[in-house]
Amino acid sequence: MIEDRAREDIAFIRETIEAGRTYATSLGSDMVVWGVAVAIGHLTTYLRVGGGLSPGWIWAACIGLPWLYSLRRYWRRFLRNRQPTHPGPMAKAQQMLWLGFGIFLTTLAIAASWTGEMRLGWFDAVAAGALGSTVFATAWLASLPWLRWVAVGWWGGELLVYGLRNEAEMQLVSAAMMLLLLALPGLVLVTRRTPRRSA
Amino acid sequence: MTDYDHAAIDEVLHSRVRLAIVAFLAGAGAADFSAIRDAIKTTDGNASVHLRKLEDTGYVTVEKRFAARKPKSVYRLTEAGRRALNEYVTHLESLLPSGRQR
Repeated sequence: MIEDRAREDIAFIRETIEAGRTYATSLGSDMVVWGVAVAIGHLTTYLRVGGGLSPGWIWAACIGLPWLYSLRRYWRRFLRNRQPTHPGPMAKAQQMLWLGFGIFLTTLAIAASWTGEMRLGWFDAVAAGALGSTVFATAWLASLPWLRWVAVGWWGGELLVYGLRNEAEMQLVSAAMMLLLLALPGLVLVTRRTPRRSA
Repeated sequence: MTDYDHAAIDEVLHSRVRLAIVAFLAGAGAADFSAIRDAIKTTDGNASVHLRKLEDTGYVTVEKRFAARKPKSVYRLTEAGRRALNEYVTHLESLLPSGRQR
């Protein structure tokens, strides 16, 4: 009897700790904002191919506005309050992982645009592969096994985007991936983060 | 048959609600009152009573602040709380035959 109760209690404790870790995964809204914004950028680029719109300023907005959103959240959480709202080491690791990923991709995008390399079409495949790796690491840090499959989707998308790098449809595929593999998982995390349950 | 050492049980954590709060905070690091209440599926009053008990014991600390002009209480697990949880789990595992913890 005591053994059964002890086993049950240990399982309960593990499950509750996991619930706490999931709560600490507060990246969901950033994923939604970035996914939608970058998808708009890809769709606008695709429309330019067909219609002659110049989307340079829209790409600046599609990268700049999500950065402002994420940095504002970072500012409010870590700096203005002096202490993070969720100071767990896993939450910190996730935040830093995504911050580093954002800096890497933004600096690479600026360099590729500056040198004209962006036209060669490799950038989106690199972005997809890097996103896959970041999502994969997040899946382990946050104990969210389903997120590993999202990472697999990004790596598959990396191959597809590379194969289509000289086609206009690559922009459509990239937009769809941003919505399905970034914004949608972000939405799932947002809705799971503060589940309202009956008492 | 396993020996049951009553004295080794932490009476504060022996309550399921308090155990759930401490375990949740062990994963989250810190959380506001409503998140804790929702996670452990209890009422405002019940959560308040147990959080106060944990606070009095020194297992959690509370920081009261204002967010958008509304009062907000953010709870954190202390080192003593984390240690007590670890010891509680260790004690539970000691009640199991070796190799059958999982």
